[in-house]
Amino acid sequence: MLENLQIGIETAITPHNLLWCFAGVLLGTIIGMLPGLGSATGVAILLPLTLGMEPVTALIMLAGIYYGSQYGASISSILISTPGDSSSVVLTLDGYQMARNGRAGAALAISAISSFVAAVVSLIGLMALAAPVADFALRFGPPENLAIILLGLATIVSFAGENMLRGIIMAAAGLLISMVGVASGFATARFTFGSVNLLSGLGFIAILIGVFAIGEVLHQIHRGGEKPIKATFRDLLITKSELRRSVAPALRGTGLGFGLGTLPGAGATLASFMSYGVERSFGKFKKQVGKGAVEGVAAPEASNNAAANASFIPTLALGIPGSGTTAILLGAFVIFGIQPGPLLFEQQPELVWGLLVSFFVGNLILLVLNLPLAPVFAQILRVPYSYLYPIILLMSLVGAFAIGNTSFALWVVFGAGILGYFMKRFDFPAAPMVLGLVLGPLLEKYLVQTSALGQGNLLILFHGPISATFTIAAIVAFVGPPVAGLIRRRVRAGKEIRETAKV
Amino acid sequence: MTSKSEAPARTRPPTSDVVGTAILAAVGAFALVMGFGYGFLEEGGKVGPGFLPVVTGGFILVASLAEITRMYLTHGQRGGSLMDFTEDIEEEANAAIGQTADPETEGSSESTQQRDTFGRTASPRNRAIVKVFGILLAALLVMPWLGLLLSLTAMVLTVVLWVERKPLLPSVLMAAGALAGAYLIFVQALGVPLPQGALGLI
Repeated sequence: MLENLQIGIETAITPHNLLWCFAGVLLGTIIGMLPGLGSATGVAILLPLTLGMEPVTALIMLAGIYYGSQYGASISSILISTPGDSSSVVLTLDGYQMARNGRAGAALAISAISSFVAAVVSLIGLMALAAPVADFALRFGPPENLAIILLGLATIVSFAGENMLRGIIMAAAGLLISMVGVASGFATARFTFGSVNLLSGLGFIAILIGVFAIGEVLHQIHRGGEKPIKATFRDLLITKSELRRSVAPALRGTGLGFGLGTLPGAGATLASFMSYGVERSFGKFKKQVGKGAVEGVAAPEASNNAAANASFIPTLALGIPGSGTTAILLGAFVIFGIQPGPLLFEQQPELVWGLLVSFFVGNLILLVLNLPLAPVFAQILRVPYSYLYPIILLMSLVGAFAIGNTSFALWVVFGAGILGYFMKRFDFPAAPMVLGLVLGPLLEKYLVQTSALGQGNLLILFHGPISATFTIAAIVAFVGPPVAGLIRRRVRAGKEIRETAKV
Repeated sequence: MTSKSEAPARTRPPTSDVVGTAILAAVGAFALVMGFGYGFLEEGGKVGPGFLPVVTGGFILVASLAEITRMYLTHGQRGGSLMDFTEDIEEEANAAIGQTADPETEGSSESTQQRDTFGRTASPRNRAIVKVFGILLAALLVMPWLGLLLSLTAMVLTVVLWVERKPLLPSVLMAAGALAGAYLIFVQALGVPLPQGALGLI
């Protein structure tokens, strides 16, 4: 471990990597602040810029964009009540209330400090757990890998939000899109309709640029843009009482976020909502939560950062992305010819440990940048969106061409943009689709191998203890929520009938 | 938003939502049929190239039909979710988004309040999206002649001038800046051979 850490430090703190880490977190902060441009969009749009870099440098910068955007998204939530990313939606409650109460500076400071504390704690957890998980995963054969992919898909569908059916549709749609082209393990061309362009598939990054960049930007036009900042920085200093009150919620949020982040598919958004819910239901100052309490800022902020870091455990150690953005990062690994998974820790220690150490460096840069400079960053929110979004469209399309090196990629971006716009408009979640898209080829590979191993009998999944455990967990994650929802509705209906009868 | 304690009103779901979900159901059915054509199982009952298309197509079909049924039967009522209490928070937070309580607009007329920061009301907003998609499509269609960078710069300029109705000089400067930035990053720094079209300029 110490030896690996030393390798990581040597890799991460070269001037070149430090520079791109700084560029990544700075760009991430700016992107995170802009409404409609979350971490997923940021990584997808800026991925083409890293094509000429060394893989480790590129991944350090892309990861920097990811966690930098978490910080940036909080600034816009607190100052204009408009989240830059879904994981900061909950900050529009207490964060913005604090800003309205003249404590904008304190809210930003608590947000940055909580994020930093959570990042440090969760990174220690990430470093401690990722390698043993990878070691354990070396024992996995096709049934185990298949079972864990099924668990990842089931988890993301379960956590998809208020409507699980839409999560299922989107995950299956992602899988279906991934099947376009020559089937892995077979010689059959599927859904190509005689087009040569479709033989090699639709291009993962082009679809993501379309769905996230084009779709999100157009949805932003539909939403009607954002109101200008009205909060002022009357008090930039955080009081001792505010700091003291933030400690326990930040630590609770970190624990909860880290636990949820390790699950493939759960993600930072759910973690932020759950930690806020814990503070509102069980916290010492629960009655103040919702009215501008520091607990309502510290807990979700810590939670979403911890979850973002923890989501790298399944991504790096198992090759199964833990969130939508890590799914895109997984795509970046593949573009650079690297296959994330258990062997990565053995074969590419400089890359893995360099990346992990860069997270510490990046979070430190973010803390230094965010504490004094948050008001400066906030000025970016004044740039008129009318000028900004056409440039985003241009850069997205040129970037998609740069990755695919074919004009066909531009048409894929256009089609995916239309799809992404309607998904946003009608509330179809994007994360399950991204996971389906990324995991589709792997799922099919392991499915074919498992089927061959079991001589056509897929019940072989229940023969080994590990694969059986993961398969059962996947079934529970898939079937459990609708059954629980049904029971809850029955209980609620019964209660209402009894109350009506009393009246 | 419907409160959980209230009995949900069974109102008609938006037609566009139903049509969109029905299209997804049709896509699922199509994948299912095509999957059988590719071969569901191979010799010895092993998974064939059509197995996954059939299964995923089936999932899309069944889930889409179930979703349409849900829209009609339980419109306004939520269900099938893992964590009830996080949804309450999500609803509150979503309701709070953009509620900046700007005193300048709080007392103003309804028509002013409906205008967004683009200065548009709902109807022009929808038209703007159609226009942007149209301009994007046109840019891709003229690309074989103008080349990628010039057609996209023309797209930027058209969007800013026609859709956003911005003044000419800042719009031209902004489009020229975008062109220069994209050229420097992608052509000069990354060495990407961007299509120059029949014109062959850049």
